[in-house]
Amino acid sequence: MTDKKTVLLPNKFRDPYTFEDVINLADTIVRDADCLDLSRISFIEPYSMLSFLLLGKMYLLKRGIKLKLIRIPLAIHQYLSRMDFFKTEIFETADSLNEKMMLKRSSLSKTIIEIVEIPNKERESVKVITGVIELFRKRASFILKHWFSDNLVDYFVTVISELCQNIFEHSLESGYLSMQTYSLNNEKIFRLVISDSGIGIVKSFELNKEIQFDSPAKLIEMALTTPISSKREYGYGLCQVNSIIERLNGMIYIRSDNASLSTLYNKTRSGSYIFYKNSLSPFSGTQISISLTA
Amino acid sequence: MVAEISKLTKEIKHRGPDLITRPVGRRMYAKIRDKMKNISAHEVLLLDFEGIRVIDSSFIDELIVRLIIDSWKSDPIFYVKLKNISIIAEINIDSVFKSFSQYNKNEIAVITDGIRQNNSFYIGALSKVEREVIEYLRINRNTSVHDIGVFIGMNDEEVSLLSDTLFRRRLLRIYNDHISSV
Repeated sequence: MTDKKTVLLPNKFRDPYTFEDVINLADTIVRDADCLDLSRISFIEPYSMLSFLLLGKMYLLKRGIKLKLIRIPLAIHQYLSRMDFFKTEIFETADSLNEKMMLKRSSLSKTIIEIVEIPNKERESVKVITGVIELFRKRASFILKHWFSDNLVDYFVTVISELCQNIFEHSLESGYLSMQTYSLNNEKIFRLVISDSGIGIVKSFELNKEIQFDSPAKLIEMALTTPISSKREYGYGLCQVNSIIERLNGMIYIRSDNASLSTLYNKTRSGSYIFYKNSLSPFSGTQISISLTA
Repeated sequence: MVAEISKLTKEIKHRGPDLITRPVGRRMYAKIRDKMKNISAHEVLLLDFEGIRVIDSSFIDELIVRLIIDSWKSDPIFYVKLKNISIIAEINIDSVFKSFSQYNKNEIAVITDGIRQNNSFYIGALSKVEREVIEYLRINRNTSVHDIGVFIGMNDEEVSLLSDTLFRRRLLRIYNDHISSV
């Protein structure tokens, strides 16, 4: 804390694992903070960005006012503006970015899908998902240019569709989608993120007494690998996503409430590739990150 | 009867090459059932997916699975067959069928117009001998219990039981004591 009401955020927006340090501050932020100081942040990827957005949403819901962001580094401000982060109107900013400083929306920056809100109502959601998929098909050759696999675009259309539908089918809250291909430490990373602040996986299965599980992380694994559903007799969505990502040697990270599961299909040859975490700091809803590396 | 899904997609006011979500599947189901009002007994309903890239599990559940279940119990009897299925659509259909079979203890499969990734003409789970029958019928479109028995090495009674099972699943036709392919 730089003073009583300003929280200085750590530079931990690089991936879902480092972002846990920000989630650990969530309670303090929602309870005590008036401002967040972003001056230390040098990099943000889509998972951290959407989770940060959810944190702002929780703040808005609990406090009834927008959380103020101060001392945003120029590159971060430009990136967040380019991703339509501020269009969500969840946060308040001390300074607005001069239009001349904004990143251009040219064909060269088509390696992203800007933040899209996925409504929790079926009818509206179908329209939005259809629109996202149309946009993805238009930009897919830019977004996925480092990866070559037959039917890759079709696979990801299935993944987007299945994950977005889970929001209106199960979470009871709206959610967000974003996507980007970026470079980090000489590695190309494609990341698709779909996150919501809804009831989470454990709560959505609370009424289904037939589903028994040892820990929340194990339940996440069951949802990913067996055709169970909290709403119907059986479900297909997450299972289908899992089999596609396995086929593509990708990675799936799912965090729900206080547990997470990482499935690293790119590491299957090195032994352990599934990692469970329970007893994380509580964070509402379900956040999913799908990644490919090259 | 042929249902050209691409044309029907426009009729249900959906756009793009992807058929996704339950509401879209429900609208397509209603559209096709409406067109099936005058379907004849033992007619094949050919769902032609030309121009369609992705069909997701929700859409499959609301359209293909429902039509197949209808065909099992419907009067008149009809058969479902799929044409021009993309690779991803086939993977998704197969996955939905596996889940369906696991939870309903009722095997589900569908005949296809072209050869699929399993090197045969169906999607779903069939035993080795069931597959042999389907492939035999693919070449010899009309045949008898006895001829199938000679081909797969079973007696007439065993073949009758087997063909009855495949008929109940609408994977072959039995009409006027003749067995034929869908």
